[in-house]
This record gives sequence, structure tokens and C-alpha cells, in this order.
Amino acid sequence: MLFEDNNLDINMSLFMPDINFKNFNRDTNILDVEEGFLRGNMFRNEYVPYKNLTYLKLNPKNDREKLLQKIMAYTFAITDLNLYLDTHPDNKEAFDLFKKYISDKKELTKEYMRTYGPLTVTKTTGVKYNWLNNPWPWDKTGGSMYV
Amino acid sequence: MFKYVKYTNYPVNICKKDLRMAKYLMSQFGGANSELAAALRYFSQKFNMPDEYGKALLNDIANEEIGHCEVIATMIHQLTKDATVKELEEAGLGGHYVEHGKGTYPTDANGVPFTVTYFSVTGDPLADIMEDMAAEQKARAVYENLIDLAEDDDVLRVLLWLRQREVVHFNRFKELYEYYKKKGYGKN
Repeated sequence: MLFEDNNLDINMSLFMPDINFKNFNRDTNILDVEEGFLRGNMFRNEYVPYKNLTYLKLNPKNDREKLLQKIMAYTFAITDLNLYLDTHPDNKEAFDLFKKYISDKKELTKEYMRTYGPLTVTKTTGVKYNWLNNPWPWDKTGGSMYV
Repeated sequence: MFKYVKYTNYPVNICKKDLRMAKYLMSQFGGANSELAAALRYFSQKFNMPDEYGKALLNDIANEEIGHCEVIATMIHQLTKDATVKELEEAGLGGHYVEHGKGTYPTDANGVPFTVTYFSVTGDPLADIMEDMAAEQKARAVYENLIDLAEDDDVLRVLLWLRQREVVHFNRFKELYEYYKKKGYGKN
């Protein structure tokens, strides 16, 4: 843990009331990966929709899109837990999920890249240099590639 | 150090051309409360954070915001890609076409180019983080204005998601602000 390792002169109790104040609940507060991703917020009690608008579902059209969307969802969950842990480094539930999602995402990413090509340049390890291959994330592919 | 990952933070695939909406969305690419302003603001401020909480949080949120710049620019690109010059002109983007062709360039919704004077770095952690909280609130408000104007679900879905990120970032900055206040950082 960050603070034990560095032996910093920081009073962690300053962060603790905040967790209590938010009524941090082991069973209900952290949403599952898919729900959190769709909402753009992994924390049930922090979610604030605009007017009556919550979120719209995504419609992946094939296996490639489905898998990529899943990787995006795990990436999101890791990022949101990352930010939460930056101000709550002692929260065990968040840290355990953070580690689990990193491991899950690694497997999904491996599976994706085996079939569809590299997602990071250093994973370009096949016979042919295919990092430059289309589609790039901003390409407009008529709803066929990036969900 | 940065490493590029070949997918966006949230899926963007807009099928329908909409120049009106593209023009409005430029606000979040190169406007005063844009994702670009957010990314550069936190990226610049992080170097002067007094402890690990601030260094980590500003670093990590800046990182996410750079991804959001890509999300917004991707939307603008997809909304304008198939437009004719005449259509651009009719949508009030004639000036944009003169300066930038069909290129994606950071301006606000009125075509005013991005400037770093949209944000500050004061050297005072509390003052900087207070600005960050305000920036997240203002960006949230702009997203709500954009949501009010959006007509296509492919656009609306992304805007709702990006708006929610402003809510989350505000909460994290607020926690950091309250902690730093108690620690006595800052000059006041």
C-alpha cells in the first residue's frame, strides 16, 4: 500500500469520514462492470442523471464489437476505481476489484488481439506489421466496427 | 510517458451526418470549458501538487481527459466527414472550411480558436484545485446544454456518458480539496 511503503506523515482518518458519509456499502455501492460502464460511473451513490435521462444502451453488431465493448468496459471500470483509490487508497473492496478487473481485462485483450490484431503497438508481434491497419478509433465505418 | 491504446474511452459510431451538432460539439473540443482545456489544466498543475494524493489524482484525471478529447474530436469528424462544401456553408461552417477545410481543429462553438488562457496554474494547490472543481461543474453544464440540443441517440449516448464523468471528477477533486484544506496546504 502506498502509505505503508512510504511511511508518510498523513492522517488517514481524514479520509475515513468521507467513506462513512457516503454510506459505503460493500454489497450495493460498486456497480458491476457493464452497468458502471453504461452509466459512466462505477459508484451507485454518486450517480447523478440529467433530468430524466440516464443512459442509452450500446448495440454491438458482431463478435468483434462485443468483445471490444467488453474490453472498453473493463478499461473504464479500472480507470474509475483508479481515481477513487487515489483519494481512498485504503479501501480494500475497491482495490481488490481493481486488481481483479486488471486480470480479467488482460485475458479479454489477449483473446481480442489473437483474432483481430494489436491494440497497442508493442503487441504487434505477428509475421506482418499490422499496427497501422484500419480501422483507427475515429474512423467512420458505417456502424460496423467500433460499436 | 504515454502509451496509445487503439480504442476510445467510450464507443463512438455516428452514422448520421449532422453539421449543426458538429458545430456545437466544438465547444467541448476547443472551448473555454473543453476537454482539451481540462487535460492541459490538470497536466500542467500536477507538477506543483504537494503530496502523492494530488500528484496521482491530477495525473490520472488529465490522462482520462486526453482520451475524452479524442472522443469529442471523433464525434465531430464522424458528423462532418461526408458533408459537401455547400452543406458546411449552410450550417454556418463556411468560415471553418476556409481556415481548416474538413479538418478537425480545436475551436469553440462560435469558431474561436483554443487558447491556454482558458485555464490557470497559480502555484497554490488549493486555488488550483478549486479551479478544477469549477471546471468540472462548467463542463457538466455545457454538456447539459449540448444534451438539450442533441437529436440523434448516437450523439446523445456519448454526451450523457461524458457528462457523468464530470460529476465523478468533481467528487474526486472535492475530496482532494477538503483533505488539502485540513492539511493546511495553500497560502490562505
